[in-house]
Amino acid sequence: MGLRMLARTVSASLLGVEGLPVRVEVDVAFGLPSMTIVGLAGSAVQEARERVRSALRNSGFELPARRITVNLAPADLPKEGTGYDLAIAIGILSASGQLPSVSLTLDDVALLGELALDGGLQTVAGAMALVAAARDAQIAAAIVPLANGAEAASVAGIVVFAARSLGDVVAHLSGVRQLEASVRTPLPATPSAVDAPDLSEVIGQHLARRALEIAIAGRHSLALSGPPGIGKTLILRAAAGLLPALDDVEAIEVSRIYSVAGLTDRRAPLIRQRPFRAPHHTVSTQALVGGGPRVRPGEASLAHRGVLFLDETLHFRADALDALRQPLESGQVTIARVDGVLTMPARFMLFAAFNPCPCGWLGTVARTCVCEPSSARRYAGRLSGPLRDRLDLLVLMEEPAHIEGGQDGAEPSAVVAGRIAAAWQRQVERQGGANAELSPAQIGPTFGFEPPLVSLLAQRGRRFGLSPRRLHRAARLARTIADLERRDLVTELDLDESLRYRPEAIV
Amino acid sequence: MIGVGRAGPGGPAPERGGELLPWPGPSTEARAVQPADPEADRPYWIALGSVPGIGPATFGRLVARHGSARAAWRAGPAALAELPWVAVEAAAAWRRARRESAPAIASAIESATVQAGGRVVTSLDAEYPASLEQCDPRPPVLHVAGDLDCLDAPCVAIVGTRRASGYGRACASEIADELARAGVTVVSGLALGIDGQAHAAAIEAGGRSAAVMPSPLGAIYPPRHARLAAKLQETGGALVSELPTGRIIGKPDFARRNRLIAALVSAVVVVEAPDRSGALLTAAAAIQLGRDLYAVPGPIDAASSRGCNRLIADHDAAIVTSAAALLQQVGVRARRRDDGVVGNLSEAEGLVLAALLDRSGSIEELIGRVGLPTGALAGALTLLEARELATSYGGATFHATLAARHLADR
Repeated sequence: MGLRMLARTVSASLLGVEGLPVRVEVDVAFGLPSMTIVGLAGSAVQEARERVRSALRNSGFELPARRITVNLAPADLPKEGTGYDLAIAIGILSASGQLPSVSLTLDDVALLGELALDGGLQTVAGAMALVAAARDAQIAAAIVPLANGAEAASVAGIVVFAARSLGDVVAHLSGVRQLEASVRTPLPATPSAVDAPDLSEVIGQHLARRALEIAIAGRHSLALSGPPGIGKTLILRAAAGLLPALDDVEAIEVSRIYSVAGLTDRRAPLIRQRPFRAPHHTVSTQALVGGGPRVRPGEASLAHRGVLFLDETLHFRADALDALRQPLESGQVTIARVDGVLTMPARFMLFAAFNPCPCGWLGTVARTCVCEPSSARRYAGRLSGPLRDRLDLLVLMEEPAHIEGGQDGAEPSAVVAGRIAAAWQRQVERQGGANAELSPAQIGPTFGFEPPLVSLLAQRGRRFGLSPRRLHRAARLARTIADLERRDLVTELDLDESLRYRPEAIV
Repeated sequence: MIGVGRAGPGGPAPERGGELLPWPGPSTEARAVQPADPEADRPYWIALGSVPGIGPATFGRLVARHGSARAAWRAGPAALAELPWVAVEAAAAWRRARRESAPAIASAIESATVQAGGRVVTSLDAEYPASLEQCDPRPPVLHVAGDLDCLDAPCVAIVGTRRASGYGRACASEIADELARAGVTVVSGLALGIDGQAHAAAIEAGGRSAAVMPSPLGAIYPPRHARLAAKLQETGGALVSELPTGRIIGKPDFARRNRLIAALVSAVVVVEAPDRSGALLTAAAAIQLGRDLYAVPGPIDAASSRGCNRLIADHDAAIVTSAAALLQQVGVRARRRDDGVVGNLSEAEGLVLAALLDRSGSIEELIGRVGLPTGALAGALTLLEARELATSYGGATFHATLAARHLADR
């Protein structure tokens, strides 16, 4: 057997939601038979030895009885997961001369996939990000497991082959039997239907409905406070049916995050539906904002470009709520790790729902609150000042004046969604982004704020004792209200309405 | 011989339900006693008055019995044995206190009070409030910050529950505002809810307000009202406490505070009180001290007003039908308001304000009555709030303000 001794293949690793090319070097040398994997390989990578050994044998190849060293470069980047199996196996075959004639240079094809003991290829998480990283490194082709084929093929600028097994890959590389290039997945034209309650099911609650419409139209964050059973959750869940579809750029961004999290639907790997995430209040900080030994996107990133709904917000862990401050401000999550800092996108609308006090009836007419004033105070204090400061709208809900059989003509979601889409269109045409992302410098005539309105804003700020940050938020809200009313100029009416939702009004 | 039924100068107290604490029996003798040398007796007055467990009544009896606080201090804890209704801890506390000399204790107390920004006023001093002179028993030592002159003006107490509803807050503000404008000093207990609302509204109206605190001067209770307390002093009001600095407060101190409130004023208004509210203690004290008592009625199905409604039903309190009527009953003349220019109301504002003047309500409820789109209604309310014609007191229910009512009357 002619020994080539050294071979080099290419794979990729995940860093947050980004991919990074990884070189796999395999050296087959004389010595006691062994296999060592170096390059900060985690335990799942170490176990690749057993998977590769069985897969090679069961695919009709043999593991050379030599001293085998596998190096994953860059060697200072910690590596986790099982996606390197294929690259290691091909490297060994090449170094031991079992790949007779390679039609493609191994440097020019990214090999991604986990090996089953029978030589089959298993899915990997984050195929979109991994293939995109390979493309960015000017690699011409990628071979991925069949199940990842559709999502990987959505990455433009690289040829993707989907393979069923190690044998298929070897046949392809040696030119015996070419794999067919995967067809680029088209973006779905419309979002798939969502299972959300319809707004026509909500009795009364005009102010909360209006606030929801404004929040979604301008991507503002919204909180509903009120007694139990009043419809807070129902209204906020109805938001899922009101969200406009993701545009092309957003769809790729969001799909990539879902791919990394392993939540991709194989048949429809690209997502048009704006995310609506509703984690339970027992969620850990790590699960909420991301992190862990293998950094996974948290709920905040999974809600990117969509809604993060925290039902019973005040029952979430204080540190978890606090961790949301940064993404709310900057639109991304930063995770500091021993080996560096990585960021993940997390630009979401925060929707919150809570009771005003432990018994839930503080400040309502219908029933008397039975909480000690101090305990009610402490309860409301769980929504920390900085977090409250980042809310755009707050509505204190009361029981509807009259609950009768008739629905008094409550608007269905479809009508409201139409107005939201129109208001959204106006924002995109004007500034190419959401009103919630307007900077303080943009509060001027170009964006429909005439000087008299700006001075009125300052006047209202003095009257109600509002901070500059709060005033800026009110101005952005007023811009959205004007957009909903199809007005180019923001009027006094819009501003006054926006101030009605100011979170300072909290009990 | 010293019974619950006998009351102060106001005549016999009416029969009362068992849940109200009785005012401690009077010590008629104590009032007459003026020590031969008030100047020399003052340190003993302060030292004896600060012993935990020796309240105003016990203090009065001790001084009456021994002729001066100095003589009583010399007699020591044994003197307590012959008195009825003395807290068991009093003797032990006094014994501990007597390890130091009375003048040393007095000067320590005085300097601590000064440190806390106040001064000690004893019933021997000229500054001692006149309203307490006829009061029996009267607190021997007060710790005071601010200007006690405000207590020489007509004083009315506004008290009520800490768990105030929007209705209670609205009534408290309205009444305090009218009284303060008419030159009345609004007295209350600095507590959360109605008390705080009354103080704040009186200051806001440019009047004076005095707070009787359950805690020592240095430790504002509740801490959240520290700023309110400072503002009271800045605007010509006063803080009054019976406790020396550093004393840990307990439940009885709140009851004691409530009695002092009633003693300082000519009339007490209970704005909103559920059953067993502390404000009802103030009401009971007012009855026993012969002060006029008023109560603001509430809906009969509102637990938060049950105490008030019962005071009215039992003929213990006169009913308050409006702030203006109360002013007449209290005997002060309403000052003409300088309403200033409100500016022209928009059509939407006019509609919303008219609805609010008719009846307070939440936005949800107003939508049904006013017939405006939600956004327009919300905006109109902000504008009315900015003009101080409507307020929600931080809740979901909106009320027309006093200024709005005056506007409507014109």
